[in-house]
Amino acid sequence: MAEFSTSIKDQGSINVVYLKGFLDAHTAPSLENAFSGLVDEGRYQIVANFKDLAYISSAGLGVFMAFIEKIRENGGDIKLSSMSDKVFNIFDLLGFPLLYEIFKTEEEAVNKFNEIK
Amino acid sequence: MIRNISAGNLLKNLKIQLLLVLAAVLFILKLFFSPVESFQLLLLNEIFVISAVAFLLLSISDFITTGKFNLLSLVMNLGILNAIMFFFITFSDSILNLFYSNLGDKIKNPDLIYTIISFFYVSIFISSLAYIFLTFKQFYFTRQKRERNIYFNTMTIFFLLSVSTAFLDKYPGLSYINNTFLIISIILIGINSIKISWIAFLSKKEKVLLLVLSVVILTLFVLNLLKSGDDTTHYKILNGFSPALNNFLQLMMIYGIGYFSILFFTTLFHIPTAEAYDRKAKEVSSLQYFSRLITQVLDFSDLAETITDIAIKVCNADASWMALKHDNENKIIANKNIGFVDADALTGYILSKSNSSPEKIEKVIYRLSSLKDVPQLSEKYSGLTVSILRVHTEIKGYLFAVKKGDSIFDDEDKNALNTFTDYASVAIENAKLLEESIEKERLEKELDVAREIQRKILPDKNPEYSSLDISATFIPAFEVGGDYYDFFEVTENKLGFVIADVSGKGITAAFIMAEVKGIFESLSQTSLSPKEILINANQILKRTLDRKSFVSAAYGLLDLKEEKMFLARAGHCPILLIRDGVTQDIRPSGLGLGLNYTPYFASTLEEIKLDLKENDVLVLFTDGITEAKNFEKEDFGEVNFERILIENSHLSAEEISNEVIKGVTLFSQDTTQHDDITLVIFKLKQKFNLIGEQEWQNSVPQSKIREV
Repeated sequence: MAEFSTSIKDQGSINVVYLKGFLDAHTAPSLENAFSGLVDEGRYQIVANFKDLAYISSAGLGVFMAFIEKIRENGGDIKLSSMSDKVFNIFDLLGFPLLYEIFKTEEEAVNKFNEIK
Repeated sequence: MIRNISAGNLLKNLKIQLLLVLAAVLFILKLFFSPVESFQLLLLNEIFVISAVAFLLLSISDFITTGKFNLLSLVMNLGILNAIMFFFITFSDSILNLFYSNLGDKIKNPDLIYTIISFFYVSIFISSLAYIFLTFKQFYFTRQKRERNIYFNTMTIFFLLSVSTAFLDKYPGLSYINNTFLIISIILIGINSIKISWIAFLSKKEKVLLLVLSVVILTLFVLNLLKSGDDTTHYKILNGFSPALNNFLQLMMIYGIGYFSILFFTTLFHIPTAEAYDRKAKEVSSLQYFSRLITQVLDFSDLAETITDIAIKVCNADASWMALKHDNENKIIANKNIGFVDADALTGYILSKSNSSPEKIEKVIYRLSSLKDVPQLSEKYSGLTVSILRVHTEIKGYLFAVKKGDSIFDDEDKNALNTFTDYASVAIENAKLLEESIEKERLEKELDVAREIQRKILPDKNPEYSSLDISATFIPAFEVGGDYYDFFEVTENKLGFVIADVSGKGITAAFIMAEVKGIFESLSQTSLSPKEILINANQILKRTLDRKSFVSAAYGLLDLKEEKMFLARAGHCPILLIRDGVTQDIRPSGLGLGLNYTPYFASTLEEIKLDLKENDVLVLFTDGITEAKNFEKEDFGEVNFERILIENSHLSAEEISNEVIKGVTLFSQDTTQHDDITLVIFKLKQKFNLIGEQEWQNSVPQSKIREV
């Protein structure tokens, strides 16, 4: 069951990671690989686009927690965008909006990175 | 001294002793009664000689049968013995003439020295002939499917008859007896000489060697037979010693000629097919080797090594490697006699080059020297062939074989590799299935443990209060979701409760759950403030949780006397309050435990105080309910959940719970439950009606609490 996939778009120094499908304990390693690939290359400015993400479980949320510390230490960030109400609700319950910047659109998230510069 | 000499050994010694005695008797006989003229003496002489030969044969055969001989070395020995005999036969004239000027006289009238010399001469021939006879016997019985000793035994009997009647040749009237036996013996030799099936099992190299040897040996046999004819010194000595011996020599030479001429021609005709036979034999043996390995090899990389190993043998290649498909890439998992870089380059080259179908790849025999753009390799390879590893019709990988230098593969090699690849595919598939089933079993065991931990962690019964109706339902998911709830009877009228969901699944989640239980159990005794308890829990969890794990939790304290609830929430699902047919979402803010360990965590936490009324229904749950999926992967959702709660809020806590579970079960029927479901319902009991009833309610359960 290939229920989840990621693709990465290179937008200058900003990398947009598109999440698609169901992100749970079984598919989380795939997102982990995507993030660690970016981190290994020193690409710390990441926008996660949730437009096509149908579901995220606690294990999926854990992936963001796993990398955020290192990314922020290196002056980068993971910004989240384009969540459906359902996915946002899951993030919201756990208090993620207190830890992450969540934007309505990918553009806003990307602009936020550019503003800082 | 060894006392326990076995009967066999004793017999062996006896034969040798008898042989020596006979030799001594013969020597004395020769010394005093030579030349033998009378019939009686001649007969006696022959009896002694034949018995001596018989005992010699028996003694040697003891040695031959105990040792395992290579047939080719036996052939070689025959050649050497024949050469020695040829030497003596040819040079007996000139050598003996050196000692005796008139040899003819000496033979007729021997002295001691002559007797010794002739004795020595004869014993060389006796030993050689005995050995030759036993070698033929060995040939005859090698690779015989059935016990056919009758032919050989008959022949031996006629040999004996012929040999023992040889002396009658001296009497012209009786010579027909010997001739008859001789002719029958020759016929039997002819019949027995065709038993040469053993040569089929020789390799091509051995067959060529045998062909050359048989020509040489055949020539020697012919020469020895011709030279042992009448009127040579050799004949005079040997025949003078015993006519039987000469007869035996002739018989052996005839046997040799018959046997080796048939051997020569058969080997000659076998040579063109020898290579095919070699290959078939090799194929059979490697397939046997392989089928044995299928059951033995539990380790995948070992299996891959073995497959390349055998591939080389099967198609006479110099190197081989195996590439398996992995995420649309071909990864080399074993390479034998070829560097990884070369193997990788050739794999890429061949598979990209053949834009044609895989079927075509399998048919073509590549000749690298005549191909363009061959990648730079560290060694020169020419022949290359590929077979496809398939399971059913799916391509799993490729098995390559190459030849070094200029040689290329032929169709036979190609077919052999293709056949072998079919076996290899099965083995690889088996190994993978085995690996998977072991892994699956391991996971299942692990989940059993996780479920057991969970079962022990959750409270086995609910506390009882006069004013509070409590129901708790927990339905574990197969994979153990990490749900946890608990009650803490802090004081008579104060009930602490917690509901939590550990991130992740399985055994890891179960262990964190166990820790969480310990933390809340102790913290609930130290503080009455839900916020404080959650802040402390977060600090303690810092030591256990890794970066990607966290725990959502809600902790509350019910004050039943004051009818109040204090609640703090750390990232957990909201608590639902159903009052007067309306649902309220009680959602104080707060981060999940383990998401932040700085003072910021405390600042996000909010503790609320809620006044309760009778008939209020408080619902604690985990996302296993709202995220329960149906067949279309739709969520059960808050709306459904709240609707059932409102519709049934007039019922008891237990009944409400049952309705919810029923609703969820109906919704998600025919799908697997992917997360734990936890549902805890508190319902504040009615206090109105009769004062007496109220008193009854207050008194009885309180005494119960004291018991607890």
